[in-house]
Amino acid sequence: MDKIWIIFEREYLQRVKKKSFLLSTLITPLIFPLFIAITVFLLSNNDEEKHIISFVDSNALIEDTLEFNNNILVRSSLKLEELNNQINSGEIYGALIIPKFDIYNPSNIKFYSKNIPSGDFINDVESILEDRIENIKIKELGLNQESLDKLVTRISLNTYSISEISSTDIGSEIEAVKSNSSLAFGVGYFNGFLIYMFVFIYGSFILQSVLDEKSSKVVEVIISSVKPFQLMMGKVLGVGAVAFTQILIWIILVFSISAFTSSYFGYDSTSSVNDIASIQENSDQSKEIVFGMFDMISSIDVTKIIISFIIYFLGGFFLYGAFFAAIGSAVDNLQDASQFTLPISLPIIASLMFMAVVLENPNSTTSVFLSMFPLTSPILMMARLTFGVPDWQLFLSIFLLFSSVIFALWFAGRIYRVGILTSGSKVTYKLLWKWFIMKNY
Amino acid sequence: MDILNIKNISKSYVDHMALDNISINIPRSSIFGLLGPNGAGKTTLIRIINQIINQDSGNVLLHGKNINYDDIRKIGYMPEERGLYKKMKIGDFLLFMGKLKGLNRSQCIDSARDWFNNLEVSNWWNKNIEDLSKGMSQKVQFISTVLHNPDLIILDEPFSGFDPINANLIKKNLLRLKDEGKTIIFSTHRMESVDELCDNLAMINNSKKILSGKINDIKSDYKSDTYKVRHLNKLDISSKQFSIINSNIVFENIYDSEIKILNKTSSNSVLKSLLNKIEILEFKQKVPNMNDIFILKVEEGNKNG
Repeated sequence: MDKIWIIFEREYLQRVKKKSFLLSTLITPLIFPLFIAITVFLLSNNDEEKHIISFVDSNALIEDTLEFNNNILVRSSLKLEELNNQINSGEIYGALIIPKFDIYNPSNIKFYSKNIPSGDFINDVESILEDRIENIKIKELGLNQESLDKLVTRISLNTYSISEISSTDIGSEIEAVKSNSSLAFGVGYFNGFLIYMFVFIYGSFILQSVLDEKSSKVVEVIISSVKPFQLMMGKVLGVGAVAFTQILIWIILVFSISAFTSSYFGYDSTSSVNDIASIQENSDQSKEIVFGMFDMISSIDVTKIIISFIIYFLGGFFLYGAFFAAIGSAVDNLQDASQFTLPISLPIIASLMFMAVVLENPNSTTSVFLSMFPLTSPILMMARLTFGVPDWQLFLSIFLLFSSVIFALWFAGRIYRVGILTSGSKVTYKLLWKWFIMKNY
Repeated sequence: MDILNIKNISKSYVDHMALDNISINIPRSSIFGLLGPNGAGKTTLIRIINQIINQDSGNVLLHGKNINYDDIRKIGYMPEERGLYKKMKIGDFLLFMGKLKGLNRSQCIDSARDWFNNLEVSNWWNKNIEDLSKGMSQKVQFISTVLHNPDLIILDEPFSGFDPINANLIKKNLLRLKDEGKTIIFSTHRMESVDELCDNLAMINNSKKILSGKINDIKSDYKSDTYKVRHLNKLDISSKQFSIINSNIVFENIYDSEIKILNKTSSNSVLKSLLNKIEILEFKQKVPNMNDIFILKVEEGNKNG
């Protein structure tokens, strides 16, 4: 145990002291907000020059000039060829040709331009035309605007998930938590994906680390003082602790940033919760959006998700990490490793693909099974979790995962002890099996 | 008194036998050479002593008791395949190795300082390992082996890849360690170092022990009836007592000749008969070096095998 700790300490400190660790820890969480910020910035900074669009309107739908967003529609009486020339010379951006048609069957409206116009632009033009035609229809049919407005109905469905009643709550009202299925989907996907990334990245760190010790020949020097299993465990735990540190830093960062923003916007999660009406009364739109987001986030059980995330990350990491350690010990270089890493990676990659199925139908038999099966549960249970998972399923899944972890570490240890001292032989599955069953090594 | 007794050790791998019933006794405070061609089983035996791998049968006794895992800290082992963590500082590496052997921080630092002096290097504590030359990293590897002041030092092919100056420095230190009462086992297939250093040796070939004992005894067993004679004037006689193998001029009329004594004649009577004919400057029995014995034994074994 003492020696596992010494190995662990070296592995951990060597990695955490690296500049690349600090950089990746601080920069990675900034990538997503930065990406969003850049997108928003680019979209909002779209006010370049105004587009002039000539239009020929045989139905007199549109007034002579009409401005929308950055576009000006200007009536023209030129022929199409002349308009084409104007487009080519850059005098106008495009030409909209509205032929004479029956307003109950409008068709054959054309737009000409040098570049393909954006979807937003097309939508805008279409809705302008639809609006105008609708107005004409209202007049022609003698309808009354007021009754038309009354005809329009907007419904937004509020969904609630009922949590299990704890013993203290018996007799009281069933506690219903306002749920948001698209949020659950998003958070589920995010969690699953994060586990996937972590298991892959840190799993390959283990592979690399074991392989480095073997190829730099330091391993036999170490192995004369520690048992191979202790060396492997120290290494796996050390790399795991690095990942854990990174997650912890991120969680702290996220909470301090969100605490900062929520106090900045003056949001109090305990008082005005879940009251959409009160938010809608608020005129400040940005505040409304931010409050809405905080509301949604406070509707999910953050503590449960974070704790489960850590448990499933560690379980998944140890499970796959053990296999990666075994592979690293068996082969002599990274090229040879790939033939073994592929089959090991398959369940992880498959989990990512199954995630869509699970998120679509989180409580189907398939989803429940996949969130129990140890090779897929770290990713898929995390994906399911936000939709509400019965406690027994959660505990069973964790139990199965960690039982498999123990088995995997034992299995990997038996290959590792032979692998690290064997180089130059062509490693096959048959040979790995021989190593595994070998007594007295 | 023996520090280590190896009793009837056998070990086979998946496809071949590495050690076949090997027994060796290693006396305390001596330097023991473990010889044999590549692939003979030396490294396997050393790994078994270090409990890196387990024997199929047989025992290893340290100070007369079955060796157990706690004894590891009494042994310093430098494997043939040795390397260092490239991305570490020397000091951190030595601390790491020392801690694995049960030293605390200050013991590590003190011992490292002594060894930096012994191996004539300046204080390397804060140097990066990736900046070291090959000779320098070999010194660091040696220091990490002996840092915890082990009673038994096991070196697998210690001089392979060492430049002659570093090799001499290590040899000097090994002899000093022996004088301090340490026992050193080293394996090699280079015999010069055996002649210089070893008190005892064992030779392994094809997984079997083919020779063992005190180096002087072995040499006298293998001494030949060939003598080297340095003399004045040409020697061109032959007799029933000896034959001349070759004779060369060294300088002016000084000759070196090799003679082979025939018919179990004593060397004294040969010398007497020579004294009558030529002036003798030197008369010396030709003692075989370990290299000759090694080649002889291995070839003998290969013929029989």
